[in-house]
Amino acid sequence: MSDALDYATWAEAVREGRLLGLSCGCGHTNGSPTGACPHCGSRDLERVELPTEGVVHTETTIQVSPSTFEERGYQVVVVELGDTSGDSKRSSGAKVMGRVDGDDVGIGDGVRLSGLVSEDDGHPAPRFEAV
Amino acid sequence: MARAAVVGAGMTKFGVHEQPLQELFGEAAFAALDDAGVGSRDLDALYFGNAMSGQAENETHLGPRMASHIGAAGLEVQRFEDACATSANAFKNAVQAVDAGVHDVVLVGGVERCTPETGKDTPEMTRIFASASHRQYEQPTGLTFPGVFALLTKRHMHEYGTTEEQLAEVAVKNHAHGRLNPRAHFGKETTVEEVLEGPVVADPFRLMDCCPFSDGASAVVVVSDDLADSYDAPVDVTGVGHATDVVPIGDKAELTATQAARDAASEAYGQAGIEADDADFAEVHDCFTGAEVLASEAIGFAPDGEGGTYAAEGRTSLGGDRPINPSGGLKAKGHPIGATGTAQIVELTEQIRGTVGERQVADAEVGVAHNLGGDAATTVVSVLEGRA
Repeated sequence: MSDALDYATWAEAVREGRLLGLSCGCGHTNGSPTGACPHCGSRDLERVELPTEGVVHTETTIQVSPSTFEERGYQVVVVELGDTSGDSKRSSGAKVMGRVDGDDVGIGDGVRLSGLVSEDDGHPAPRFEAV
Repeated sequence: MARAAVVGAGMTKFGVHEQPLQELFGEAAFAALDDAGVGSRDLDALYFGNAMSGQAENETHLGPRMASHIGAAGLEVQRFEDACATSANAFKNAVQAVDAGVHDVVLVGGVERCTPETGKDTPEMTRIFASASHRQYEQPTGLTFPGVFALLTKRHMHEYGTTEEQLAEVAVKNHAHGRLNPRAHFGKETTVEEVLEGPVVADPFRLMDCCPFSDGASAVVVVSDDLADSYDAPVDVTGVGHATDVVPIGDKAELTATQAARDAASEAYGQAGIEADDADFAEVHDCFTGAEVLASEAIGFAPDGEGGTYAAEGRTSLGGDRPINPSGGLKAKGHPIGATGTAQIVELTEQIRGTVGERQVADAEVGVAHNLGGDAATTVVSVLEGRA
């Protein structure tokens, strides 16, 4: 595991309303902790505080849910964080997966971090809301 | 020169089976051995795939149990788990072994039970399938496997204008093909209207955009190139490519590329000395209709962005110029996870031999199999050709 960012630290940040990622000299910023950059293999990664606003890169609403989740009809999103149009095929910003509650959002819509989901054995997932 | 040859092929009907795993596997294995004219004691090794019977049926260490059931205990048995690409990975390793001279004659196959015969209902099996997504960064959102491919497909629709009607056309085509396959889980046709009226599973996918939970097994006998001519109906394996992509989805460079499939196809085509256009047909991993659209582009059967158009125009149908999934694919033939990869090899073998009857691709000389695992993070692409 990279010294720069491990799961426990990432998860604690989500519980505090922050998003942490890893920035690499190759130009990629990744939204999930790894031991080395998944794109170039470098272990020289810098922990970065990610923006908590971004745009929806893709989304779906789950109507048949796993047994772990009691309710259905929730929206899962991949959010490209930061100041971006969200329209680039190869996104430049870090992307994280999360939930959107309330109004359904579509690809390209702006969202901001609004809390977390913690229905799965205490594992937190970022929760977003429409801007 | 071929890397190896398939000299025997067999599979169970895919569907709902109450037999235990070893009996299902035995049915496919004996069919493959008999087709090859090979006895269990003639084998040098078993390459076996099963993805999740540990979770679904509380059954692990399946290798020697399968070998014992088919009278081949004593062999070295290796067991593979790579989500839905499980038995294609077993096949790749088998081809490499005979190509390298480690073994001469091997059996490759897989088995899985996914229907309620396992005692697991849909929410529970949905949870087990979701174990192939990232435990820390994806599962806590409530992501499911229909959800994984919905995320990739929605992005494809956004970038290229792929429509729900085009996705439905993939289901209609594969059901039409599957009706011609006596081993398919589903034997009835469907219509675009019927697909679009179905209940939503994870948008844009409705029930009929999704492959079923199936039980089944498949197996092939693989031999080295220099032994192939001593068998009745060898089909050459001329290329096998295998690649992975970044997990989780958020960290992939590009969601619609399914880059592992592109890398695996490039490797397989390079080994075979062919281009995508040289292939006469393909079996691709259509766990969801959108997955076939992505796959058809990744293996070069359709230009980027046109996979949906190709399906809607009938170009990927039997009788079209780029036929895909003549077996009915996962959508209609069924998807017993660990059996799917070698079932594609069974279809390629029988198509190239010209023995599949009504669903025969005309002049099928070169076939491509695309077997994908997880969130497209594993893909194995194989090229089989008629032996000159």
